[in-house]
Amino acid sequence: MDRRNFFKIVSTASAGVAATSCGKKEALIPLLVPEHQIAPGEEQWHPSVCTECSAGCGVIVRVMEGERIVERNGQKFRERIASIKKIEGNPLDPVSSGALCARGQAAVQSLYNPDRVRGPMHRTGDRGKAAFSSMSWDDGIAAITKAISATDKSKVVFLTTAPAGSRLAGIQRFLQSIGAPAAYTSSLADFSIERQAAQAVFGWTGMPDYHVSQARYVLGVGADFLGGWVSPVYYGGQFGRFRQGRLGIRGKLVQAESRMSLTAASADEWLPVRPGFEPHLLVAVGRLLLEEKLARAAEQLPPGVTESILGADLQQLIRSTGVDPNVLRRVARELGESEAPLVIGGASVIHSNSFQAIVASHYLNIMLGNVGRRGGPQAPHPASDVAAANPNVVEALKAAQVVFLDGENPVYTLPPSSGVAAALASKTIISFGSFIDDSAAYADVILPSHHPLEAEAAVVAMVGGPATSVAVATPFVRPLYDTRPLEQTLGDIARKLNVAFEPVTAKSFVQPLLPNGETWDNVALRGGLWLEGEANAQPLKPVSKNMQWSDPTFSGDALQFPLQFQPYLSVQYHDGRGANLPWMQELPDPASSAMWGLPVEIDPKTATKLNVATGDWVRVESANGKLDAPAYVHPAALPGVVSMAIGEGHTHYGRYASGRGANPISILAPAQETSTGVLAFGATRVRVARLEQRPSELIQFSPQDREQGPWGHR
Amino acid sequence: MSNSEHRWGMAIDLDRCTGCQACVTACHAENNLPLSDPESAAKGRAVHWIRVDRYYEGEFPNIRVKHVPVLCQQCDEAPCEPVCPVYATYHNEEGLNVQVYNRCVGTRYCGNNCPYSVRFFNWFDPVWPSPLELQHNPDVSIRMGGVMEKCTFCIQRIKRSKDDAAAESRPLKDGDVKPACVQSCPAEAMVFGDLNDPGSKVSQLAESGRATRLLEELGTKPKVFYLQKAT
Amino acid sequence: MATLPAISSDEGIRRDLWRPLAGASSRYLIVLCVLSAVALWGLVAWGYQLYRGIGVAGIRRPVFWGFYLVDFVFWIGISHAGTLISAILRLTDAGWRKPVTRAAEAITVFALMIGGLFPIIHLGRAWLFFWLFPYPNSRLLWPNVRSPLMWDVTAISTYLTGSTIYLFLPLIPDVAQLAKRATGWRRRMYRMLSLGWTGSDREWNALESAMKLMAGIILAVAVSVHTVVAWDFSMAVAPMWHSSIFGPYFVVGAIFSGIAALLIVMALIRKTMHLEEYLTPHHFNNLAKLLLLMSLLWLYFTVAENLTAWYGNEPKEMNVFGARIRGNFGPYFWVMVLCNFVVPFVLLGIRKLRNILTATIASITVLIGMWLERFLIVVPTLSYGRLAATWGRYTPTWVEISITVATFASMGVLYLVFAKLFPIIAIWEFETQSEHED
Repeated sequence: MDRRNFFKIVSTASAGVAATSCGKKEALIPLLVPEHQIAPGEEQWHPSVCTECSAGCGVIVRVMEGERIVERNGQKFRERIASIKKIEGNPLDPVSSGALCARGQAAVQSLYNPDRVRGPMHRTGDRGKAAFSSMSWDDGIAAITKAISATDKSKVVFLTTAPAGSRLAGIQRFLQSIGAPAAYTSSLADFSIERQAAQAVFGWTGMPDYHVSQARYVLGVGADFLGGWVSPVYYGGQFGRFRQGRLGIRGKLVQAESRMSLTAASADEWLPVRPGFEPHLLVAVGRLLLEEKLARAAEQLPPGVTESILGADLQQLIRSTGVDPNVLRRVARELGESEAPLVIGGASVIHSNSFQAIVASHYLNIMLGNVGRRGGPQAPHPASDVAAANPNVVEALKAAQVVFLDGENPVYTLPPSSGVAAALASKTIISFGSFIDDSAAYADVILPSHHPLEAEAAVVAMVGGPATSVAVATPFVRPLYDTRPLEQTLGDIARKLNVAFEPVTAKSFVQPLLPNGETWDNVALRGGLWLEGEANAQPLKPVSKNMQWSDPTFSGDALQFPLQFQPYLSVQYHDGRGANLPWMQELPDPASSAMWGLPVEIDPKTATKLNVATGDWVRVESANGKLDAPAYVHPAALPGVVSMAIGEGHTHYGRYASGRGANPISILAPAQETSTGVLAFGATRVRVARLEQRPSELIQFSPQDREQGPWGHR
Repeated sequence: MSNSEHRWGMAIDLDRCTGCQACVTACHAENNLPLSDPESAAKGRAVHWIRVDRYYEGEFPNIRVKHVPVLCQQCDEAPCEPVCPVYATYHNEEGLNVQVYNRCVGTRYCGNNCPYSVRFFNWFDPVWPSPLELQHNPDVSIRMGGVMEKCTFCIQRIKRSKDDAAAESRPLKDGDVKPACVQSCPAEAMVFGDLNDPGSKVSQLAESGRATRLLEELGTKPKVFYLQKAT
Repeated sequence: MATLPAISSDEGIRRDLWRPLAGASSRYLIVLCVLSAVALWGLVAWGYQLYRGIGVAGIRRPVFWGFYLVDFVFWIGISHAGTLISAILRLTDAGWRKPVTRAAEAITVFALMIGGLFPIIHLGRAWLFFWLFPYPNSRLLWPNVRSPLMWDVTAISTYLTGSTIYLFLPLIPDVAQLAKRATGWRRRMYRMLSLGWTGSDREWNALESAMKLMAGIILAVAVSVHTVVAWDFSMAVAPMWHSSIFGPYFVVGAIFSGIAALLIVMALIRKTMHLEEYLTPHHFNNLAKLLLLMSLLWLYFTVAENLTAWYGNEPKEMNVFGARIRGNFGPYFWVMVLCNFVVPFVLLGIRKLRNILTATIASITVLIGMWLERFLIVVPTLSYGRLAATWGRYTPTWVEISITVATFASMGVLYLVFAKLFPIIAIWEFETQSEHED
């Protein structure tokens, strides 16, 4: 699909809107009569937005004929419908650049998932047992209205996965109009530490953008930007051009991470930094840059920061990171000498001091003089400031009386030690989700909204700033089930509550951003509004004037629980959302090649000590819980650090995810990142013991992870 | 070698590849690959026409990871072709190793003789819990149990691009054809094109000093070129 | 000749050899029933596989060939019993062969029938097996003669035809005799099979030359058949398969297992049919010596195959070699060496130990060892392919095991029925000793 073809075949993108909103006038078409506009063998491409994560990739969707069986009055009919065949990146969209990650492409399997909620339902069994029976929309809305009216509005908690954009704006407006607090997110992938660090150092709201493709030397610290961090699609594209996109120039990537992530695997060098010592590594590099007079813009550093860096004990800092001092010195020199150096700090695994690390990374960029320049960190687009991020979600949930769930799954993404799951047992819970997941199993009422591929949306990209980048979706297929757009449901509730509420549509969201001469219709046709230039660039106004670093703290007694535990966001499951997609389940895990279940990654030394081999089952135990899972002896794991991808271990999430594997979040301590209060999911200590039984096999696509066998060739 | 107009080839830049496996899912979506389940996957029967082989090299802390996307190499001297007793796999005029599902009786000899192990067998009739089948690409046939299947270089996309070009009475241009994996790759690590056209990007990459071919020593003459990591 | 049983009259021979044809003891019936049940169970397993799909077997990527191909090679190997004993000995005029030939030739035919089934059992779409035959079809397509599997089809069908004729020719005088005595349907059958044999000199001469001719032809076919079977593997570029030694290695292995099978069958016949006078320790001694010789030859080839691979130290071959010698196939390998070399060498190489019992024991271990040998040729190479990321383990399922076991039972059933219908030792070869020996 190139641009020319794309324009050619994008057809009446908004035709579906009318069909959806005018209710259930569903024509039953007997066999072999095509639905309007759908001719066998002919393809149409429609623009849309991927909402599998909050990066906001603009996509195009291939629509062709499909056939489904519907039952009416006990009789079965074959109905020819427009069905979605494939999702690709929108070539016009700067975030995806026409490409798309595995999970984004698998979104079609959530649309056509056999376990989708097919209509409004109410709970008939105990909470958490997922026993529901169907109800009418009217009854559902009445029930919700009743619950809200009877509640102190400050105790209404709305959890949403919606990225910055029209859906979130609509939710916020709804909450405002009924007098409830702003929406929360309970996902581990909201990157709120990164946002807060950007706010503190640069005064920016939103995610800074890193122009990797124009850098020559990148030092990544803690940010798995080619894997589970922010947008592997966007940064993958940047990385490709960084490496081989410029004649005669090849960028060098050095990645410091406490795990061999996809980014570390792609890097030219990996610095295995001890978990939680990322700030120390960054300060050491800063100190080396200053010492060797390689900090070309040292004068831009706030004096307090320079002072604290120079006051540090370099030897001590380097030693604490666990990285070879000579290597670190060389990397610092190479970075400082590079024509276009860039430091990317992030918290793919959140430790107690992750904020400090990201702040330090920003100061490094400042002293390297690259902020706002080509190849440096860029200010985010101002419209992205609406992303729901609140570290106090646990307290809010505990105090809540009515909880709305819009795609969020707090029972899964918040550790039981936080007490959330237990607290939910006494709330009125309403889910707008498409699936009965761990949390929806607690719901009183499920009012399923349209699948994102059936709905309209405008999403502000998390990356690509400061240029305006808003991807837009307008509906183009009929909803498969008795679902409604969330905006409509919220409007109905507001009307019942007698509250004035104007829903936010994609159009009304985009309209104010339109430059002169641009029209909504054009934007809808192209699938987004992408403006060149940096007219709205946020100015640099540093808030923080100093820099601190402290040793990480870990929850759990070091003697009893000698190992550090790192759950991490994976490319296939993200924060656990991807687990109900069969394509993701059968996608070999990049580290272990595991399919249909995730292992615990243990380093070879610890494994030998524990007498554990790949495929053996182990019990990972913290002071707050335990989980059993197969082990993968990871040749590149840090000694004493046990990692596990997040994604499996759902109690409820359809046939592909329910009851499969273990959830690493379930054994976490309720530790907080010190500066921000965000759940520090990498700050729990554990012990590991080998289990005698193997309840099931560790399924690997490629069990052999070395090119040579253990015998033979010498 | 054929005198045909096109000779399709691919170049994969390992310096760009991040191992994200977007290509793997793209292939599933495009080619109606059978769905695995834990039981079949445990038996080694999961199907990935393109896979990303990963190897660890060295020992901690001096350890590196090698990612190699492996798909059918579309060998010019394909070991899979002569061994098929019923001509279910053959070389078409554009240099593709074509698998004719209807002709296959399932001796699986081709699978044994493929040094890249990129051939997959349908052990059973495939099953998609409804309505997942709504996603099926009508351009690609569903394979029945008992037959071999493998990467086709997205022959249906080649066909569509040719038809599009013909409809506009113009020759096929370099870059017109993109198999699903190539299309999906965020890092643009994969390039597809006509090796008969010396000006095509893939031809030029194939000439690059970094170009190697997988198991080149076997003389299979693959048409997939791997550009090794620069250092 | 010393090799001949000391039997006085033609009448005595006929009485001894016809005895097993009449009636059926309860022991015979029980054994027949049990074996038939096992064979039927195999059919059920196959039916299940046809119904559900070939996936009910344990084969997988990358081990696309498993038990079925192992069984195939094994049974084709067993089929070499008849050829060697009968054809070689007939051509070299070794007199002691006479009581042995028919038993051997029957093994050949039955083993081929069983072995020939496996390529079909193993197909993904077994019901389309006839697509491998060259016939004018709607697809206007002839089979691909470049495929070693087509060579297989050709070689095995030729071999089956040839060896059936070869079994049948020496049967003619015997069935002619039987036709005179038998009654009912048996009489009709024998008459039909005797092809109007009258026993004239012209007929005898024609039979003699036909048998000589067939012996020569069948020998060549047999060698080529197992070479072709070997080429199924060695034509592939897979590590440790791509070897020029495989042709002769497989032929030697085939003859080796063929003799072992023959020894076992002979021991069973001797015991159950009370033919001690016909199948004497002398026969067993000769065959045991032959088995010993083949064991040494087998060892030579095995060493040659593995030593060259090891010395060559080619990484991809070493993966397979290592897995076979030391890795997860190691135990099977060393059991194979024990079965194929150590046991026969000790039991048969030491003259004092060599007797009917030890020859039978050694034969049983050789059969086990040779089955393992084929397993170790087929599976490790496929498990450890050229790209390490594709390595995978194969575990057979109950379907494959059932079908494998059932083929042994089928062999028993076929043999029991055959022995009930035809004299297991060629009667005329004894009777006409004086007349037809030059």
